[in-house]
Amino acid sequence: MATLEINGVAKLYGNRTVLHDISLNLSSGEFVSLLGPSGCGKTTLLRIIAGFEHPERGSVRVDGRDITALPANQRQLGMVFQAYSLFPNMTAAENVRFGLRVRKIDAAEQTRRVGKMLELVGLSAHADKYPHQLSGGQQQRVALARALAIQPTLLLLDEPLSALDAKVRVQLREEIRRIQRETGITTVFVTHDQEEALSISDRVAVMFEGRMVQVGAPAAIYQEPEHPFVAQFIGISSRLPARLLDAGQGMISVKDKPLHAPRARGLVSEELHLYLRPEDVQLHALNGSTPSGAVLQGTVRESTFFGAVTRLRVELDSGERLLSDLSTSAAQQLPIGSRVHIGWQADAMRLLPAKETP
Amino acid sequence: MNASVRQRLPVSGMALLLIVGLYFALPLFATGVFSFWEGGDRYGLSAYASLVRQSEMWSSLWLSLRLALETIALSLVVLVPAVFWMHLRAPRMKPLFDFISVLPFVVPPIVLVAGLTALFHGPDWFVGTPNYLVVPYVILALPYTYRALDVGMRALDLRTLTEASHSLGAGWGTFLLRVLVPNLASALAGAALLTIAIVMGEFTFANVLLFNTFAVYINYVGQTSATEAAALTLLSFVITWLAMLGVLLSGRGKGQAQLGGAH
Repeated sequence: MATLEINGVAKLYGNRTVLHDISLNLSSGEFVSLLGPSGCGKTTLLRIIAGFEHPERGSVRVDGRDITALPANQRQLGMVFQAYSLFPNMTAAENVRFGLRVRKIDAAEQTRRVGKMLELVGLSAHADKYPHQLSGGQQQRVALARALAIQPTLLLLDEPLSALDAKVRVQLREEIRRIQRETGITTVFVTHDQEEALSISDRVAVMFEGRMVQVGAPAAIYQEPEHPFVAQFIGISSRLPARLLDAGQGMISVKDKPLHAPRARGLVSEELHLYLRPEDVQLHALNGSTPSGAVLQGTVRESTFFGAVTRLRVELDSGERLLSDLSTSAAQQLPIGSRVHIGWQADAMRLLPAKETP
Repeated sequence: MNASVRQRLPVSGMALLLIVGLYFALPLFATGVFSFWEGGDRYGLSAYASLVRQSEMWSSLWLSLRLALETIALSLVVLVPAVFWMHLRAPRMKPLFDFISVLPFVVPPIVLVAGLTALFHGPDWFVGTPNYLVVPYVILALPYTYRALDVGMRALDLRTLTEASHSLGAGWGTFLLRVLVPNLASALAGAALLTIAIVMGEFTFANVLLFNTFAVYINYVGQTSATEAAALTLLSFVITWLAMLGVLLSGRGKGQAQLGGAH
């Protein structure tokens, strides 16, 4: 188990800066996901940690030792790649043995470790198969066993599940987490799939345009976005313009309606964006009485059935759109075209300055 | 050919295959029959027996085989790293590599040999011996060796394999010998086969530079004894085919790279 410290890492391709002074610390045995859309720099950062790219500035330290200038083959890091990376001329066992042979480890120890690693990933029965005889999921399992066999200080996973079908992805990500817990190895996992990142990580580092915009526990990332990109990228949110009325009292206005918003306390920016999760948006049929907590009015425009839950898209009278997740039985009471009251709890509102919105 | 392929092959396809087969086989068959002719109605092995007794045949044959092996070695030592590097680090240079590789098709061998002798002044131990022929032979084989390696490397995810190898602690040498070369078995076999075929039959360079290679010896024998020339030609074919068979078989073992995965 080892710690990882990334300090002020910057990377340029020509004149284009792809990483802006990235800093991130991982404690021993921690599982951290780098999450972001394509081109946000997450893979570049992982490749810098692995030694396949070199930063213009900053340093990478493992257990306090600066490895920034160390060649990739001397870093003692295990890596699983997005593309199938098994050596086609070797069996599963020979692939796992490769790193041990390079290190000239005693033959008996090699055999013991190969057996143990294949057992760990549940592929002992496939030891003598060549990569082309294995499924995609099995190949990635062997790649994981191969990376772990050298007893690396860190495990780096570069979107290892992205080439697999949905069912295998879920199985393998749970298996990766189980193995990581069993081995206790400090792990950096790169993914663009938020569900993947949120479900298996101790912490998630969200990246956007070469910057690390928020680092935190999965629940905090989901519930307490600190950056407009995080609010938009993680989960599904509806966004409405809002205005700060009184930062001390926690008062805002939405469509000229004053609202009490505890999270508005301490905000400085006058122009705000209000983010609402669909599960926090409540709808009531517009039938004369106004339910408590109702804020706005609108019309149901679209309905998407997800089984137990149905998502309704509501168009406000002012033109904006909101999403609301209701139980299917409740949603059936509000057919398309229904006029509705729209409301939400005060603590469901996430408020961020409008000028930072990407 | 498995049963399903046999079933799918229509009569017209079979007929076409037969015609093409005859086109290649008939001249060889005629050459073979002629090599056994001893005059009149007599057929026998006298041409072969005569050849076997000639030490010049063996020395020229050995020389050509040795030159073929040297050409293969030099071609692969130069081209494997060069083509690998081009694919991995300088893919923009591929058009240049492609252009250079076809130059031997454009420049006639006689011009090439004239240019080489005018420009290449190496040490006597090299320029004064048949080893000098390896230089033009490497150039002559370049279109085939380059193409074979290029196709072989394009079939591999070189970047991922290289990085996977490095992440496991391997240096460049280990990667080249244990990963790249075994996974290029078919490509290397193809390159070697084509080089053997080219060198065994190359006449212009050897003749102009006055080295007695197998092709030059066949030409000499052809001017003095037609049946022996036919026997030699057949022998030359057999050697090439055996080389082809051996190289192909060596490429089919466990070192044969197969990409993709079962699903």
